Amino acid sequence: MLRCYDSATALIPASHQPALVLEFAHSQGLGAADVLLGTGWHNVEAIKADTSIPDTLLKPAQYLRLLANTQRTLGGDELAFTLGRQLLPGHFGAASHALLQAPSLRRTLELLAKHASRLSPLLVPHFRVEDGTAMVVWTDACGLGSLRSFVVHMQMAALVAMCHWRAGQRLPWTFCFNRTAPRNTAQLEVHLGTRLRFGCQVDAMLIHTNWLDQPWPFAGETHRPAASRASERAAEQEHLPRSLLGTLYEHLVTHARCMPALEEAAQNFDLSPATLKRRLAQEGTHYQAELDQVRSHVALRLMYFQGYDNDAVAQHLGYYDAANFRRSFKRWTGLTPSLFRDALGRLSPVV
Amino acid sequence: MAMALTLLFLAVGTFKPMAAWHWLDIAGEGGTAALAGYWAHLVIGSRPGGRVTLWLAGGLTVVMLGNWADCLDEIFIKNSTIVSLKWIESVLTPLGMMAVTWGMLLWREEQVALSAHMSKRERLFRDHRVLDRTTQVANSDYLLQQITLEHARNPLAPCALVLVDLHSFHQIVRNYCQAECDRVLLAVAHQLLLNLRHRDLLCRYAGHRFVVLMPDTGLAESQRMGAQLCSMVEAMRFHTLQDNARVAINARMACAVANTQAQSLLTALNAAVEELDAPTQVPVSQAI
Repeated sequence: MLRCYDSATALIPASHQPALVLEFAHSQGLGAADVLLGTGWHNVEAIKADTSIPDTLLKPAQYLRLLANTQRTLGGDELAFTLGRQLLPGHFGAASHALLQAPSLRRTLELLAKHASRLSPLLVPHFRVEDGTAMVVWTDACGLGSLRSFVVHMQMAALVAMCHWRAGQRLPWTFCFNRTAPRNTAQLEVHLGTRLRFGCQVDAMLIHTNWLDQPWPFAGETHRPAASRASERAAEQEHLPRSLLGTLYEHLVTHARCMPALEEAAQNFDLSPATLKRRLAQEGTHYQAELDQVRSHVALRLMYFQGYDNDAVAQHLGYYDAANFRRSFKRWTGLTPSLFRDALGRLSPVV
Repeated sequence: MAMALTLLFLAVGTFKPMAAWHWLDIAGEGGTAALAGYWAHLVIGSRPGGRVTLWLAGGLTVVMLGNWADCLDEIFIKNSTIVSLKWIESVLTPLGMMAVTWGMLLWREEQVALSAHMSKRERLFRDHRVLDRTTQVANSDYLLQQITLEHARNPLAPCALVLVDLHSFHQIVRNYCQAECDRVLLAVAHQLLLNLRHRDLLCRYAGHRFVVLMPDTGLAESQRMGAQLCSMVEAMRFHTLQDNARVAINARMACAVANTQAQSLLTALNAAVEELDAPTQVPVSQAI
């Protein structure tokens, strides 16, 4: 049976990401009581005494609340980035060790995707290479609510900062955002880069595949294949559950061609359809929304990388005809496929 | 407005007989109105424009009008069918008081946020919501507003923007704690402030990049001054709080003359400094 976590699963050791958030809040002069408000994590005395934080497991919802509190108290739009750049490789046990040993961008992205539950428990990175472009698509690991943009910025900043450090230079990422352009892009430009694309219907980072296998300068000094294998094995042995929404996303991407029904998806998780429905509702979503998201992502990919027209995409996704696909696409994105293709034309080449 | 109010009373009311006038009331209410007006004048005269000034001065003006209406009430007998005059009397003063109180609360917030030396950190108007928490200089929102203001003030004079980028900052982030990183940024902000002219404005654009707005300055001069600022930053000897280790700070800059497209110009400046560290190992087959 597939073990999956959701926002109510005790998963994140308090000494991992939550401890970093607390440390950051402390450095900014915020009281621990303020940022812990409503998180249900009360061991403030232990934190104050600066002793090791007791390793209780927190739920993603608690970690999210901690972030929301810190953001609310500090205000501004910088926190996501300053916090993000400290998150990777992090000190999260074997997964962090494995990441630190990675000799190239490709291995880094593979490890990040593989150990996402440990390294990025709120947002799932999906790594994929297509037509000369490497992509990291970020999707929700659990319901993020109003903090979604914050978490997206934070995880993107984390990956960018780690690659900058390990590669010894800024990598020329292109960033796609599933949102309209903000009025002020200063933080995004400085912390991520100036190649920003808005209104893309997907949160993703793109880079030319030539960067994937460049040996990183540190690798010569620190990369010891035996140590690297050992830490990767250790990370695998943790057997962490994977995110329910992330796993559902991957399942639906694989089966996007045949319009998978809720019942089949539930079977894949060994859950009854009713239970899957209930668990999705807990995360503030529902099966149709998840399926629509996957199908819009697949359609965008086909149009962008393969240059498919409406007929070809409709056929690929199992639509009766192009008109039906066109209607669905309009519902998902608010734009007709042709308008969207025009927008894509203006964006390219992105890498 | 006070005049308009008087005319309104004249139009719809009739004079009370002199004998019925309560001189003490007239002096009290008239005096309060006059003083409230004077206070509003003082607030506007002594503070830069912005949210706090607007609430304080606006509130005091409304209090003045309310009291003036009260005062006129002592002199005129109102036509009882006109309800609006009664309404003016009883509503204006409390509304004004509330506005002043709100202004005071905002003012208190502002005072907490502001430090003493503000001359190169704010120009033309004050809005404390735009102060950067770490360095206590203005942020990018304020910068964008100021570029627009500067352009409106004098569309013909050149106004330069210098972007100063601390490009080794990512290493400092890896090696030191958050508090030390914040201290580095604060120290750099101070060093930049000390080396600016009085008419220049320093802003923290975001992260490890600062932007200096230089009014009435051409491109060549701003390049010279930008290079000077970078060398001043690099010449600093910054020491960590914990072990007194010296931290090397590297700076470089890009500059341009501001136009009406402030945000896209700033994006171009950021792209320009990114170009400076164009990949040292561009993959040979990279096709861009």
